[in-house]
Amino acid sequence: MPVQLIEPEKILGCRILAIDDEEANVVLLRNLLQREGYTDVHCLTDSSEALKTYIDIEPDLVLLDLMMPEIDGFQLLEAFSRHDAADEFRPVLVLTADTTIQARRKALALGAKDFVSKPFDLIEVGLRISNLLETRLLYERVRAV
Amino acid sequence: MRLWTDRPLAFKGLVVIALPLAVLLGALVSLYLASSAEARAEDDVRRAFAIQRDIYQVHALLAEAATGVRGYALTGEDRFLEPYRKSERELPPTLERLDIAIEDEVVSRYFEDLLLVVEEKREGLRSTVALSEIPQASSREEIEEALIANKLALDSVRREIDKIQQREAVVLDERRALVDDVRTRFLTLTAVSGIVGLLGSLAAVYLFSTGIVRRVSKLESNAELLARGERLTELPEEADEIGRLTQRLVGASALLRKREEDLRASEERFRLVIEGVRDYGIFALSPDGIVTSWNLGAERIKGWQAHEILGEHFSTFYPDDTRDFLPKQMLERARADGSAEDEGWRLRKDGSRFWANVVITALRDEDGELQGFAKVTRDMSERRRSEEALRLAREEAEAANLAKSEFLSRTSHELRTPLNAILGFGQLLEIDVEDFNEPHREAIDRITMAGRHLLALINDLLDISSIEAGGADLQFEMLDVASVLREAHDLADPIVSSAGLSFEMSLPESALAVRADRRRLTQVILNLVGNSAKYNTDGSYVRLGAAQDDEGQVSFFVEDDGPGVDPDKASRLFTAFDRLGQNKKTKTEGTGLGLALSKSLVESMNGVIGYSSNDPGARFWFRLAAKDAASSDVIEAQES
Repeated sequence: MPVQLIEPEKILGCRILAIDDEEANVVLLRNLLQREGYTDVHCLTDSSEALKTYIDIEPDLVLLDLMMPEIDGFQLLEAFSRHDAADEFRPVLVLTADTTIQARRKALALGAKDFVSKPFDLIEVGLRISNLLETRLLYERVRAV
Repeated sequence: MRLWTDRPLAFKGLVVIALPLAVLLGALVSLYLASSAEARAEDDVRRAFAIQRDIYQVHALLAEAATGVRGYALTGEDRFLEPYRKSERELPPTLERLDIAIEDEVVSRYFEDLLLVVEEKREGLRSTVALSEIPQASSREEIEEALIANKLALDSVRREIDKIQQREAVVLDERRALVDDVRTRFLTLTAVSGIVGLLGSLAAVYLFSTGIVRRVSKLESNAELLARGERLTELPEEADEIGRLTQRLVGASALLRKREEDLRASEERFRLVIEGVRDYGIFALSPDGIVTSWNLGAERIKGWQAHEILGEHFSTFYPDDTRDFLPKQMLERARADGSAEDEGWRLRKDGSRFWANVVITALRDEDGELQGFAKVTRDMSERRRSEEALRLAREEAEAANLAKSEFLSRTSHELRTPLNAILGFGQLLEIDVEDFNEPHREAIDRITMAGRHLLALINDLLDISSIEAGGADLQFEMLDVASVLREAHDLADPIVSSAGLSFEMSLPESALAVRADRRRLTQVILNLVGNSAKYNTDGSYVRLGAAQDDEGQVSFFVEDDGPGVDPDKASRLFTAFDRLGQNKKTKTEGTGLGLALSKSLVESMNGVIGYSSNDPGARFWFRLAAKDAASSDVIEAQES
């Protein structure tokens, strides 16, 4: 068992924003997160509202689909990093059915902190989410010192 | 004639000068002989005259003496004896002179006679004088008698003198005739000498003219022909200096002609090459840009014929928008840098434009003086068109490729998105499996199993499609075969071991490299090893190995001692979804795309994949290029 630097309650209390145009996937993610014990989960299927919500709720983590009508995940990644302050660490985990290396590279280049292909393993995704949140909280702690 | 002409010039000159001189000398000698002969003859005449005069003198002396003696005898006066004494004094030297002078024999005879009668006469005169000195002692008769005897003696003297004179006259006439004869003869001789001398001189001049002057003048005209570069007239090959000079001249002419012909031939070849070049417009410009030559290529490219364009300024070839400055610029650049190159639009005679590559080169003579420019024009329209076509084709191919990638990406997305929900919710149900009863559990199991199979299918299918579309990201590098095999062995070992088989490895004998994409190569090996492990249900081992084959390629193989493949069906091994019915007998998993995918992967790395029986068992192999620069270029072209 790895050393717990951050209390699990703090991680589970983090605000998570999930954006996917596919209703089923959003429901699946909500299910997974609730099962894990997360308390502050926000879901969106309309990507055009994503930036506004992002600004409004200031999530600790974003779960982002890439292929979406109107505004796609790449555009949102750019918009997020434009909005965030330079010293902000607000991780985005890309969850996409586009498995091409190009999509992976592009997403990571635009600021995504992790990338998981669909169909994904629920356990793996759960672990990656908690890892990213832990990193964010550690970063926040370092910055506060 | 040859003998004469072959003589050296010095000899000819000697002859030509000596001949008239010799003739002149002959004439002089004959003239001298003539004059001396004439002098001799005249001498004779003069002597004859002298004889005559002395004869007269003898007669006159005697006659006067006789007259004086008579007077003395008659008068006894002494003064009458003066003539007698004079004759006595002068006669002896005169007679002596005559004796010397007389040469003619007849005259000599007569002279001897004369001497006798003269002596007689003188005796008579002496006796008469003696008689007269003593006038008493001598009688008149005796004196008269002596006088008469004297008279008779004088008469005989006269007769003798007449005879001599007559004879001397004859001799004189003879002498005169001789002198005339000698004079005539020598005059004739001189005239003949003169004529002979003249003819000789003429002959010498003729010989000189034929032998030297005419030939020299011919030689001169030949030299003139040579100077003009024309063919020489034939000359006989005499052996003298002129003949040799002629031969030299002929030799020089032949050499000159040969060089000229060589030069002309070379120029002609060069001209033919230049004129014959059809793909390049090659022409010359004067220093100020006037067209001075034109070739076939220029005519073909630009449309003007030589007679239409010679003398025109080359700015005619430039379209309106560049005509004012570009031609000038080009010449200035060529003048400054030696040559100038440009690519751009030019005009044809019919006004149409063509894309041209132009090189202008400054032509300078040995002193660096600008003589003009050489201009080479190439019509690049075709190349430009084909480049354009190539660019369009490339763009189209890129667009098609992009569309294909886009399609694959979208298909992948569209298939995976629902599968994500299926597998995700299935997984959720699996997590809550305790909440369900047995039939539901089995249903959940089947849903997730089928979902995973579908995912595997989709993955393989998309893999194959993307490889075949050339969209797969192949990263070629030189790989060490042994390390690739060891890595694959480590990865596949759990699979083989779990099938209860021993996993053997046959490494190449020496270090061996292969040019391939590491991930794809490993994927193929794992696929084949996985197949062997899966289907080798009654054997004991799976063997992985590689070796260099005869053609220098690297041959990888995976073999086992399992049931192998039915030879009739071996040809269908690499066909997608054709699992040869094996999955019906056994519960082997798989999408049926494994070998098809392997084939695509191997072929994407320019390799060949195949199957052969291992007896017992199966043997799958594939060959890749060990190191092939040529094919690697092709691969890189495909990658980009």
